[in-house]
Amino acid sequence: MINKVLIANRGEIVRRVLRACGDLGLRTVAVYSDADAGASYTRQAEEALRLGEANPVKSYLNLEALVGAIQQSKADAVHPGYGFLSENAAFAEAVEGAGAVWVGPPASVLRAIESKCFCRDIATKVGVPVVPGSTEVLATVDDVLDVAQRLNYPILLKLDRGGGGKGIEKVERPEQVEEVFQRVQRIGTMAFGNPDVYVEEVIGEPRHIEVQFLADHHGNVVCLGERECSIQRRHQKIIEESPSPVVSAQQRQQLTDYATKLARGMGYVGAGTMEFLRSGSGNFYFMEVNARLQVEHPVSEYVTGHDIVQWQLRIAGGDRLSFSQADVQLEGHSIEARCYAEEPGTFRPSPGTIRGIRFPTTGRHLRVDHALEVGAVVPPYYDPLIAKVISWDATRERAIERLAAGLSQFSILGLATSVPVNLLILSSQAYRTGDLHTGFLDELFAEHIDWSMYEPKMFVGES
Amino acid sequence: MDATITAHMPGLVARVVVDEGDQVVRGQEVAVINCMKAELSVESNVDGKVKEILVKEWDEMEVGSPMLVVESA
Repeated sequence: MINKVLIANRGEIVRRVLRACGDLGLRTVAVYSDADAGASYTRQAEEALRLGEANPVKSYLNLEALVGAIQQSKADAVHPGYGFLSENAAFAEAVEGAGAVWVGPPASVLRAIESKCFCRDIATKVGVPVVPGSTEVLATVDDVLDVAQRLNYPILLKLDRGGGGKGIEKVERPEQVEEVFQRVQRIGTMAFGNPDVYVEEVIGEPRHIEVQFLADHHGNVVCLGERECSIQRRHQKIIEESPSPVVSAQQRQQLTDYATKLARGMGYVGAGTMEFLRSGSGNFYFMEVNARLQVEHPVSEYVTGHDIVQWQLRIAGGDRLSFSQADVQLEGHSIEARCYAEEPGTFRPSPGTIRGIRFPTTGRHLRVDHALEVGAVVPPYYDPLIAKVISWDATRERAIERLAAGLSQFSILGLATSVPVNLLILSSQAYRTGDLHTGFLDELFAEHIDWSMYEPKMFVGES
Repeated sequence: MDATITAHMPGLVARVVVDEGDQVVRGQEVAVINCMKAELSVESNVDGKVKEILVKEWDEMEVGSPMLVVESA
């Protein structure tokens, strides 16, 4: 049982977790940096404690300050949100050390899955396909050339403990291996303190498909369908949906089976996501596990009717999943548009103070997750994500219409947002026909766009 | 003549890429600001010699915060 949850994060996800805590009758504690003092959720939570300076290293990444806040508030559980320390084994251990329950997978699991090769090895053992390549770290250039001999060039050299798209480099020919191998090792040492490298083949025309799952402490694992996240820019997702337009019922069953086997193989407990790549020829390959609540979880909630954040908290408290895989039915279609504080077109960051907001009408068909209000500051120190607009309807076509209508009613004054980019994507023929891939935006942006068409409006009819 | 190079965007100083005494030219990157996880280049607006570096990694910048002084030729 847990009673009082400290939310170790900032922005929209804090409000999301607060809502789930409210639904479950749990008490709440928010934390904030100097840059977020006075944010809406710090007033909505029952308590709010300062962590430190604006710099995330001094606040949201500051283990000592976070442990201090747990002790001071006597919180008996910590929800880490996403980003920051949400997948950090040392933080999970520190939380447990402070006598609170970690709302996430056990620290031992977090530590093990940091290694991509460990995950690839588990997958191979439980019979889940991985992208062809090595399942162990390669120590020398000769080892790489050895493995590459049975692969098709181009190949990728990747960091075993990398992240955020860093330290992934393509090699076209064997002669280039040595130079790239050394470069990737250097990036690994500098950015992640670990130079370990492994090899993968390049998958052509990849689509990014991921499976949401819940695993309780009693050995039950249930998958909540897949999400397609193929519309990205520099590894930043922009539009996500569930179900994927290219996954058949039979493939969904296959992916569910894969994700379940992987979760069991890893000894996973909590909510998580198994990421897969789908090749142009329709094969699925396991990529990695995301051991946290994901930004795009609402689309899965809309199509399954299950509240993933409530389940995270209930599982952490020892509850047993009350439904089985057979009970999970995907209904209709849901799409999420991420709104970033960025200038459309240039993607230049746009921090600032919000001078006006007009929200779309929410309800059965539209949900807006955010922590915005007039007068609120969007600081320059953190992720640019400021809101998510999520639609649901019986068909994909209608869900697109709902989302486009919602986004065109969503205006923010005081800073630039990526809402126009979302509208442009939704109105494109390629998106409507479901022709998605990770290079989608580059193609769309190759044409000239008149962004003035999308100037924010506070009132209907305002010119 | 001394020219002060200032931050054109708010954020945290990611790094200063020149040393005091270095010769720089107009348009050359002298520092990088991390704004909302994006790395933005700060360029010198004059030719000259770096006289003084006023910031260090992780310092908080606002638009117009002084970052370094260049003694123009």
